[in-house]
Amino acid sequence: MELVLLTFLPLLGALVVLCTPRAAEGLQRGIALATTLAVAVLGVKLFLGYGVPGADATPYSFSVPWFKLPSGYAAPTQVHFSLAMDGISLLMVTLTAVLMPIVILSTWGHVEKRVKEFMVWMLVMQTGMLGTFLAVDLVLFYFFWEVSLIPLYFLVGIWGGEQRLYATVKFFLYTLAGSLLMMIAIIAILFDRGTSDLGELITQLGSQPLEQQLWYFVAFALAFGIKVPILPFHTWLPDAHTQAPTSGSVVLAGVLLKMGTYGLLRFCIQMLPDAAVAAAPWMMALGAIGILYGALLAWAQTDLKRLIACSSVSHLGYVVLGLFALTPAGLSGGMLQMVNHGISTGLLFLLVGMIYERRHSRALDAFGGVATVMPVFALFWVFTVLSSAGLPGLNGFVGEYLILLGSFQSSPLWSVIGLTGVIFGAVYLLMATRKMLFGACTNPENQHLTDINAREIGLMIPLVVLAVWLGVRPNDFMGKVEPDLAKVHRRVAEAQQSTAALGDVTPVSEGVAAR
Amino acid sequence: MNAQSLLQMFDANALRAVAPMLALALGLVLVLLAGVFPLGRAVRSALVVAALVASAVLHANLLLGGETPGKVLAGTFEATSTTAMWGLVFVASTLFAWLYSVRYYDEDAPFKNEHDVLMLATPIGMMLMAGARDLIVFFIGLELLSIPLYALAAFRRDRARSVEAGLKYFLLGAFAAGFFLYGTALVYATTGSLSLDMLADPAQRAALGSPMALVGVALIAASVFFKVSVFPFHLWVPDVYEGAPTPVTALMATGTKAAGFAFLMSALVLLPASTASTVALIAVITMAAGNFGALAQTDVKRMLAYSGIAHAGTLLLGVAGAIHGDPSNGGAVQASLVYMTAYVATAAGAFGLLALLERDGGPTTLESLKGLAQRRPWVAAALTLFMLSLGGIPATGGFLGKYLVFSVAVRSELTGFAILGVLLSVVALGYYLRVIIAMYMQAPEHDANVPEPRPASAAATLASITCAALVLATGILPGWLLELT
Repeated sequence: MELVLLTFLPLLGALVVLCTPRAAEGLQRGIALATTLAVAVLGVKLFLGYGVPGADATPYSFSVPWFKLPSGYAAPTQVHFSLAMDGISLLMVTLTAVLMPIVILSTWGHVEKRVKEFMVWMLVMQTGMLGTFLAVDLVLFYFFWEVSLIPLYFLVGIWGGEQRLYATVKFFLYTLAGSLLMMIAIIAILFDRGTSDLGELITQLGSQPLEQQLWYFVAFALAFGIKVPILPFHTWLPDAHTQAPTSGSVVLAGVLLKMGTYGLLRFCIQMLPDAAVAAAPWMMALGAIGILYGALLAWAQTDLKRLIACSSVSHLGYVVLGLFALTPAGLSGGMLQMVNHGISTGLLFLLVGMIYERRHSRALDAFGGVATVMPVFALFWVFTVLSSAGLPGLNGFVGEYLILLGSFQSSPLWSVIGLTGVIFGAVYLLMATRKMLFGACTNPENQHLTDINAREIGLMIPLVVLAVWLGVRPNDFMGKVEPDLAKVHRRVAEAQQSTAALGDVTPVSEGVAAR
Repeated sequence: MNAQSLLQMFDANALRAVAPMLALALGLVLVLLAGVFPLGRAVRSALVVAALVASAVLHANLLLGGETPGKVLAGTFEATSTTAMWGLVFVASTLFAWLYSVRYYDEDAPFKNEHDVLMLATPIGMMLMAGARDLIVFFIGLELLSIPLYALAAFRRDRARSVEAGLKYFLLGAFAAGFFLYGTALVYATTGSLSLDMLADPAQRAALGSPMALVGVALIAASVFFKVSVFPFHLWVPDVYEGAPTPVTALMATGTKAAGFAFLMSALVLLPASTASTVALIAVITMAAGNFGALAQTDVKRMLAYSGIAHAGTLLLGVAGAIHGDPSNGGAVQASLVYMTAYVATAAGAFGLLALLERDGGPTTLESLKGLAQRRPWVAAALTLFMLSLGGIPATGGFLGKYLVFSVAVRSELTGFAILGVLLSVVALGYYLRVIIAMYMQAPEHDANVPEPRPASAAATLASITCAALVLATGILPGWLLELT
């Protein structure tokens, strides 16, 4: 029941906001903040209670029959409205729950028109995202997956920048194309297996022949790959990020993109292990090239927001590289990097938003010496950049290290290519920092910028704390995920063994055999 | 056949089967009479609603009341739970169209009474088409549907576009009727039968494979494809839909299409299994023609006309699946029933809202929709819902229908066509989103040109709320509809 409450509390909040008069903007902001705070409290409570030995497990799953869907069998398939939480979804849900109040609080600065609609869409989006992470029925998952498209479409389309219509339509159509192919795969799976329960499908599909798994894998990987985005499907992301309002960018980078990586882990790897083993070299290659290409793209940008968007492509390349290394370290690193990216890139977008609200420009050339007029801002910026670039002691380091370690075990080549991305990552981030913050403050428009205020500092503090915490004691978080990741890895290892037994030796299984 | 045997055919069972049509016919006569006497508008409206509701109740009785009459009237007509469900779809389509027409013609002072009579005649035709087990019965239904629609399309006789629409529809419709009769004659000449059940007999099916019979079947298919606007018989659609009065367009887009597909689903015996991939190809081309055509439109009504062509293509993919697979499986029939139920609510709602907006002044172009979310938030919200449902986004009925139709195609090993189909429906979102963009994300360019919103009539409001509720109900809790079909 807790999960239902968690998922639908934002929707309830959205309905309440809908009933307020249009002019009562303060009230609308208040309701939205209160709702997301309540969700955050509930999320943190679930997080703390999870995996504690001897604790009650009932809050972590919920299932009622939803409807009977004809699937080609004599008896139609019973689709369940079933939500459940394991370690993997736990981290994603907690991230979503914690990030949302911060996002809502950040809108005080940049959402002035049509506040009511904005809050409604934000809250609806939260329900969509939480549902996607929690659904353990294939049909229900698809339902939430596609529904969560619509709010962002409105958020970018109404409150976005100059080119917002182009960006929002591109985002929508790109993602939809992938989703619809996934729908065909879901239809085929239901026809094939007669059930839509994820647990059963994970058991059943893993023993299907490789060729069949591969077809499903391609369809799912395409849908998730577009969302992540994996090269070469990344072109929608810089446009969407640049045009989205700050809060939209934070949610997009922080959570929505994670739906893609989460899907890769849950469906492509856990549900279709043989196909994952077969496709791993390709996926790792795409991930590693993505790291490098994203970093080079970011280096070439002159628009701060676009720069961070391209760095997202690079950072999510790490996640893909780590996950498809299919080693325990790689899976853990990929998982951790999902959370890290949410925190670091979320912070970066918040910071860019803050300076844009003051200066109304994001062009790197327009800045210089900002540190002299905005010292507190500069402090937060440098901290975030270091976290994003993977300075030891902060969150980014642990994830990247594990990913590179894990991927080196299965493919040294792609791991080394990924490693160069670390260097380029430091280059473009520090270069941007130098251009923006340091040097002489010559541009008269920059000389009167006011430093960030208490609200802005306050909303970043939780993320800063998390960044340090994850960097120093990652096991507080990873301890909850490890058992489930170990389960995923066991399945993959079995698949690798059976592949190796068939004499079809791929580079991945070589790595495993060597150990 | 003498009078005695005719009377014997009309037993209680047959009466129960045709009662929904009789109710409508009775209502039609009463409305006609009410026009002669100086009775108020309210009385006439009440009669129309009463006739439709009575027909719906009789259908519901057939659907839920246990055993259905089955084949009656010497096997020429059939009343099953499937035809009853189709009947409900037809009644709903007519009711929505009529509700939106209540205030639509206020400026023209037309012969609203005659309008209502003609409108009441169309669902009788649709029901005959859906229940026909004999090609001639189907033809009678087709004409009973078409002739009132010709008149209705031209009903705004002082407007050139409307007259043009009526004439165009009539001329092409007459051709289609000719095709149908010629095709029927060829089928009869080779097989000696017009009964769909007799044609399903293995011996007759072999005769159906002869070249002459195939030409006949092709001609019959062409005339039905014309009615449901399938490539290459779709060219009349944009002009007629745009020119006809919008409530009539709503009726044509939903009811006619539903009746055509109801017949296609029950007349699968005519089409040999080898035609499946041809039909699937036609379906995909139809989707492409509709979707790419719609992308180029700026008039929303015309855009929806093209979108209707694309939807006919999607449904035809389900028909192709049924041809390929076992027609008695029932999955395809259910899929098309669910699809049309959702489509009737969605398209009737969308056209109805356009009718509402037209009364503010002028045609509904993307330009005139700009900033609508600020002027009429509820209309904009409902139109958004309908656009998303037409696009097949989950939580709307459109998604359920699309899912079921594509799953029929996938199960019938037409996966390649299904993949092409879903990619084409991405194109469709390209123009549905444009409507939402205009309403929510763009401001009107010249404030002076923005028409003053006029209050919606109670009937139109009721219809819109019902449509929206149906779309959401079939999208979020689809269990009931899947049970019924």
